[in-house]
Amino acid sequence: MSYDAIVIGAGANGLVTAHYLARAGKRVVVVEQRHAADPSADIGWVPPRVVRDLELRDLRLEQPDPWLTAPLSGGGTLELSREIGRSTEAIRRISPGDAAKWPEFCQRVRTLAGVLEKLYLAPPPDIETRDPRELARIGGLALYVRRLGKQAVIDLARILPMSVAELLDDWFESDVLKGALGAVGIWHLKQGPRSGGTAFNFLHHHAGSPAGVFRPARSNVTQALEGMKGVEVRRGSRATVLAKNGRATGVVLEKSGEAILAPIVVSSADPRATLHPVAIELDPEFARAVDNIKARGVVARGTLTLEGAPSYSSLCIAPSLEYLERAYDDAKYGRDSAAPYVEVQRTDGRLELHVQYVPYTDGTANVQRHQALQQKVAHVLGVQTSQVKLQSPDEEELQRGATEGHLYHGELTLDQILFMRPVPGWSRYRTPIGGLYLCGAGTHPGGGIPGAAGRNAAREIV
Amino acid sequence: MAAKRYDAIIIGGGHNGLVTAAYLARAGKSVLVLERRPRVGGAAVTEEIFPGFKFTMFSYVVSLLRPEIIRDLDLPRHGLHILPLESTVTPMENGDYLAAWADHDETRRELYRHSPRDAEAYDEYGRLMHFMAQAVKPILSMVPPDPTSFSPGDLVALLKLGRHFRGLGGERLHALVKLMTMSSADFLDEWFETDVLKATKSASGIIGTFLGPRSPGTAYVLLHHYMGELDGVFRAWGFAKGGTGAVSEAIASSARAFGAEIRCDAPVARVLVKGGRAIGVVMENGDELRANIVVSSLDPRRTFLQLLDSDQLPDDFVSDIKRFKFRGSSGKVNLALDALPSFTCMPGIGRQHRGAFSISPSLDYVERAYDEAKYGEFSRRPYMDIVFPSMIDPGMAPPGKHVMSIFVQYAPYHLNGGWSDAKREAFGDAVVNTVESFAPGFKSMILHRQVITPLDIERITGLSEGNIFAGELALHQLFFLRPAPGWAKFATPVRNFYQCGSGTHPGGGIMGASGRLAALRILKDGK
Repeated sequence: MSYDAIVIGAGANGLVTAHYLARAGKRVVVVEQRHAADPSADIGWVPPRVVRDLELRDLRLEQPDPWLTAPLSGGGTLELSREIGRSTEAIRRISPGDAAKWPEFCQRVRTLAGVLEKLYLAPPPDIETRDPRELARIGGLALYVRRLGKQAVIDLARILPMSVAELLDDWFESDVLKGALGAVGIWHLKQGPRSGGTAFNFLHHHAGSPAGVFRPARSNVTQALEGMKGVEVRRGSRATVLAKNGRATGVVLEKSGEAILAPIVVSSADPRATLHPVAIELDPEFARAVDNIKARGVVARGTLTLEGAPSYSSLCIAPSLEYLERAYDDAKYGRDSAAPYVEVQRTDGRLELHVQYVPYTDGTANVQRHQALQQKVAHVLGVQTSQVKLQSPDEEELQRGATEGHLYHGELTLDQILFMRPVPGWSRYRTPIGGLYLCGAGTHPGGGIPGAAGRNAAREIV
Repeated sequence: MAAKRYDAIIIGGGHNGLVTAAYLARAGKSVLVLERRPRVGGAAVTEEIFPGFKFTMFSYVVSLLRPEIIRDLDLPRHGLHILPLESTVTPMENGDYLAAWADHDETRRELYRHSPRDAEAYDEYGRLMHFMAQAVKPILSMVPPDPTSFSPGDLVALLKLGRHFRGLGGERLHALVKLMTMSSADFLDEWFETDVLKATKSASGIIGTFLGPRSPGTAYVLLHHYMGELDGVFRAWGFAKGGTGAVSEAIASSARAFGAEIRCDAPVARVLVKGGRAIGVVMENGDELRANIVVSSLDPRRTFLQLLDSDQLPDDFVSDIKRFKFRGSSGKVNLALDALPSFTCMPGIGRQHRGAFSISPSLDYVERAYDEAKYGEFSRRPYMDIVFPSMIDPGMAPPGKHVMSIFVQYAPYHLNGGWSDAKREAFGDAVVNTVESFAPGFKSMILHRQVITPLDIERITGLSEGNIFAGELALHQLFFLRPAPGWAKFATPVRNFYQCGSGTHPGGGIMGASGRLAALRILKDGK
């Protein structure tokens, strides 16, 4: 059996690339190390373009309402609804001033997220190009932004480099509201809410959501893709890229030693894990740049078991920006947060956990540290330790091979986005190895937008 | 006698105000500078606080005075004499040190002792930074174009800017993006492995900011050091003979020579506006002075919220100015010493005392100092930059005695419970005790101590919240956003009223650039 292309990894991006290639008439095989699909939900906006192109009929989007519940210090909760008016009423109970600003805030940041959406559905602008078509595209983007009006241009320039804390302090006074919003600005970053660039991360995770909803959509996109015909998926073994004379020739399955050959290899694994085995073939500058990718895992994920369904659809424990900042302080010095940010999301009857900060250490599982973490999270949630099951970044790396257990394959900091992602100068899904491409979260536009990188990569390849 | 009508009145006799005055006078304008204090200089003053001992009260080293200003204003002839700072020694907690000397080879050998790999990388790093500094320099001497405007002038300037950056080529363009967005710790991590090297280098990236070495946005300050060196003003850092006050005096002397009039003890209450135009100023004693244009070198908050009434300005603009961040974070301790202290890491008195001592033994040390400030406390073990001006310019202290200047970070303006005399002394104690831990016996040499908090800086110099750059140098407060979007070209919403202080592009730390650009802008406007 011979193939035109091999895709490494059966996550959303890998499968999207595979299906686009298959639709372009290529014979494609996907190799995946895990025996079974990951049951946890995919988090992030699935671009409608991908849904349409691939006719993803089984896609189910979760649209919880209220989309967030945050406990108040004096008892009771703040519930943020999909409808701006209802959120405004809820906020009015804790701060009339904040309630008055809520609708405008939602509209202003919605406009900016719209700019990102436009940037995300295509390869990043190539600022070095002399190609008139690319120049025209960049000119078009610039014009699009300017047409949004003066305020949008100023907001874009001001807000992108800001910290999410500065952004929220500009608008609001309520700690619980700022904590709940600010939390998404630190997702998968080894930065605190007062670090520059976290406002961008906040906008990134707003892409695809309606105005006033500041948690990305959750969906079954990977499952929906798996159920589709047209692409062969081989599970159960890690695959390593084979390269010869600077060209990719295929992959070898580590378990059986079997080699699968194809002129095109596309990896949705993280750039460092993909490229390390072929490092000898790489030029040293590129290899150094790959080593310099910041992918410092800080998130523990897991599940919460409760008897009976909880009263919320998602619960956010981040009572203030300072709470988040202090949680980050511990991580700076390599410790798990003494009081971590914890979020519970109900999906398909499961309760999934996001805990930050749990910094990656050395790639080994430390039982004591693990128990202490579960205890801490149980304490924060007011449940028994046995109800909490977590996976630290170290365990994530051991089990999935993602470098430093970073789910986004590289932090979404301003120096690692657009034409700087995955490494400066190689943002077009290509690598110095001929025929070897990247299509995962490590490439533009990054994690949290399942399928966008996969689609962009497939279009570059075809 | 009818009161004289000036072409221009400059409010504030700090170095930027003086530079603007000198350039306008040089172009033949009649210029009056009004300074509130008894002497010119603003934050760049030398004062004899303790008999026989001269202190450069606030700013303490001359870094980046633009060479074109030195040339245009003929400053050496007016007494500017810059003496090089020869070295930086960074004591470590384990008793070792890292030193950078004037002699490049010696520095390399020293680095080699810590890490052969870093010694190799150091030269490559230096070359890149030199190049990047060169590439960024033109921006410092241009009036920022407004990307929200559709005027042909702005569009052309934007396109030119785009071309300039593309001309750098891929690798350097990427390095520029990294420098603009990364934290100094992360940026240095890509180059070096020695912690103390990264600590001492990143410390220069936090000066004047309310950020730690691990905060994004601190990397680009690293560049500034290379700009100074390129301009041939000896090395990046130097002393003005007679202290930084001598720099102000030299500029003032040049301005006077061009015909400018400078009045001290002349506090301005507000700007006179009639029909949307500035027509002069009202002094605190009620006197009115008339001029064709009025230029403020005060920081944006004072310029727009104090010298003018809010109803003279558009609402959007007023809220932008209110949002402009100051957050002073640094203090200063000036000491008169009986003798020079000996540091454990490099015992004795020697050439090391002619350079700086940087108390930044590790990245974690500096970051922890920041953590305390984040939550409203001064650092108990702060980052410090120590120099002994009397070792370079003996005129600063009586024979055999010395002055010691300690720049300290962090001392937040918004201290929990507010600053008080007791808090100021506690802060001074923390500084002195930390130095003592690196130089035992040092405390017994202190003859006199002056502790300056950000609140003191605000009270004395007028800089809002004691921010030494007249507004934080954060990415969202730079270039066409400094001080407010749409008003970064030195003009203001009030006609004939201009701004020329460090709160405008390119900002503090680049001595005199704002003042010069403002003057050129005014002359171009035909005022």
